[in-house]
Amino acid sequence: MINTEAMVAETATKIYTDLCDREVPHKAEAGEYPQALWDALAENGLPLAWVRESNGGFGADYDEVFGAIWASAQAASPVPFAETLIANWMLDQAGLAPADGSASFALSGHTPSADIPFGMHADKIVLFDEAHQEISLFDNRAATRSPEEALSPDGMTQFIFSGHVAEQSAKTNLSRRAIEALILTVRAVQMAAAMEMALNISIEYVSQREQFGRPLSKFQAIQHQLAVAASECAAATMAATQAASSITRNAGDPEKAWHEAAIAKVQISHGIETVTVPFHQVHGAMGYTQEYDLHHYTRRLWAWRDALGNEHHWSKLLGAELALTSPDQIWKGVTTGEWIAS
Amino acid sequence: MQRFNFPVVQPEPALEELRADLQLFMKEEREAGNFRPEPECWMASADPEFSQKMGKRGWIGLTWSSQYGGHDKSALERYIVTEETLRAGAPVGAHWIADRQHAPMLLAHGTEEQKLDILPRIAAGDCYFAIGLSEPGAGSDLANVKTKAEKVPEGWKINGQKIWSSGAHISHYMVALLRTSPADGRNRHVGLSQIMIDLSLPGVTIKPIVDLSGDAHFNEVYFEDVIVPDDCLLGDEGGGWKQVTGELAMERSGPERFLSSYITLETALWQLTGKMGSDSHGRLGKMIASLRTLKGMSWGIANLLSQGVSPETEAALVKDLGNRLENDLTMEVRALLNDLPTEEWSPDMRRIMNIGVLRSPPNTLRGGTTEVMRGITARQLGLR
Repeated sequence: MINTEAMVAETATKIYTDLCDREVPHKAEAGEYPQALWDALAENGLPLAWVRESNGGFGADYDEVFGAIWASAQAASPVPFAETLIANWMLDQAGLAPADGSASFALSGHTPSADIPFGMHADKIVLFDEAHQEISLFDNRAATRSPEEALSPDGMTQFIFSGHVAEQSAKTNLSRRAIEALILTVRAVQMAAAMEMALNISIEYVSQREQFGRPLSKFQAIQHQLAVAASECAAATMAATQAASSITRNAGDPEKAWHEAAIAKVQISHGIETVTVPFHQVHGAMGYTQEYDLHHYTRRLWAWRDALGNEHHWSKLLGAELALTSPDQIWKGVTTGEWIAS
Repeated sequence: MQRFNFPVVQPEPALEELRADLQLFMKEEREAGNFRPEPECWMASADPEFSQKMGKRGWIGLTWSSQYGGHDKSALERYIVTEETLRAGAPVGAHWIADRQHAPMLLAHGTEEQKLDILPRIAAGDCYFAIGLSEPGAGSDLANVKTKAEKVPEGWKINGQKIWSSGAHISHYMVALLRTSPADGRNRHVGLSQIMIDLSLPGVTIKPIVDLSGDAHFNEVYFEDVIVPDDCLLGDEGGGWKQVTGELAMERSGPERFLSSYITLETALWQLTGKMGSDSHGRLGKMIASLRTLKGMSWGIANLLSQGVSPETEAALVKDLGNRLENDLTMEVRALLNDLPTEEWSPDMRRIMNIGVLRSPPNTLRGGTTEVMRGITARQLGLR
């Protein structure tokens, strides 16, 4: 289970309950950005939860924040809360001050541009430049932003880094794998939370909708589709929780959480189709409308499974890494969650 | 609030020491030629001599008191033992069922005399049990059991037939779900009781059923006026249904529900070191992600069970996901082996793969079919 009892998680849950009901994501898509929601998160300092106290943050354990991310994903958060948490964590790891406002991030090896989640709304962009082992902060408001055709309502923009001057920049010892471990874990928590919410919506729908004189939920064909989806949701929650547990245990060296994070990515992303197909199927045409809530979750799931590389990319990456170790080490990892990098 | 209750628990270091002992033993036994690894070993590979060796090492009866021949250890230690025997594909089928479910049942419901007599023999790897649930007319519809136990002055008189009883031919006892009084109208869950039957008694006939691979590990068991003493009734008269469904949570979430075919992958990994292509890497990554996730779920349930919580729905989820994974693993390993010309497959690889394919159909049947598991999940979701 994701820790939803920490103070950060409880505060975030309350803010999302109060300020992000089912109508808010609809309005956000129609162009009414929920500034009040962002302001409440910011006033409570939540986007700084992973920033060290000496740097103006809470210095919360990894574990204490995942429940907040869970709540944001269950509310189909139309503000870049998880993205800002990640961006501020990157800045903090490089010894830089947290971003003023909301932020998103990009990992760039060699390319001069990158896809930015929430690119239209984030005030700042944090870039990890692997080639130079450098983390930089850019002002997104000054940039020319071109919205991409995005799967998710959170949107995606291209940001051309060349020609922009970073506001702050610092060398870092942080490895790409450490950053990947955190981002993949955050995305895993979001995906598991959104999957569960979409399951809840589907159960609610089939219990109310009647055909042939009885609720859809009474048809065994419907029951079994949702049972399969539910087992995939349970597996996703476990995979996300194991990744969260791994990075919490390895807080001093997040790179050691890379395997469990990659496993969560692979497990959950492969399961997205297994759940979104029956969720949409049991809703009939209703689930395909903009008016209904289901797509707030399914579209985000489709986007998150692609984020930082899709499930096929990560399966190969993980498998290639494991193939270089030994069957003994693979067994140790499967049974204990302790993996040794090849 | 999360819908499913699976705690994440890191194993204690002492458990890993136990794991190392098991690994060494399995390696030595295998290298000495004392067993040949097989998939589905807990069900289909029985070797009393091997069971006795495990008993001598203290690896059966871990969870019960030394007063009854046990080892005063936790259910989590037993979990490690089962995990390592499955990885090795060792012939543990003789004692598996008695150790897993009948010893705990006797501890809960048996007389002092029964506990002192039977439990030490189970722990020594000498005494085996068979499950007596299915009947010709009671498969998924388990409440339809017709085999009867009638109250007589000497105890209970049993008449009827059980089927698909794995290992009954080498077992000393069966614990059977029997009708001890009629159903109450449409409520068939009343009037069922669990009774322990000594399989050497007169009136018991055991006939092997040969499976499609030619093995005969399951049986038909007939009872004709078999008399057992009163104290063979385990638990409450008429309380059998509740007892059985409670046990099933334990039975459905163990490592044997997702690791039965791991030996197939393990064998292939040793074969394929340095020989895998990019497609195989993708398959391997996906398999390991699924295995690691299932391990987390199954281990989470084991921890709940050790605290006295019995999560029936979570167990059903693990069984459904795990059984599908077992069969998927066998198929995925076939694909992995594409990177190796068939003539380079070791004889072990070929044998294990063939056994794995032949033994795959019952994975999604025994202990409750996939369809029954989905029914349980659907009920928990509030759909039925």
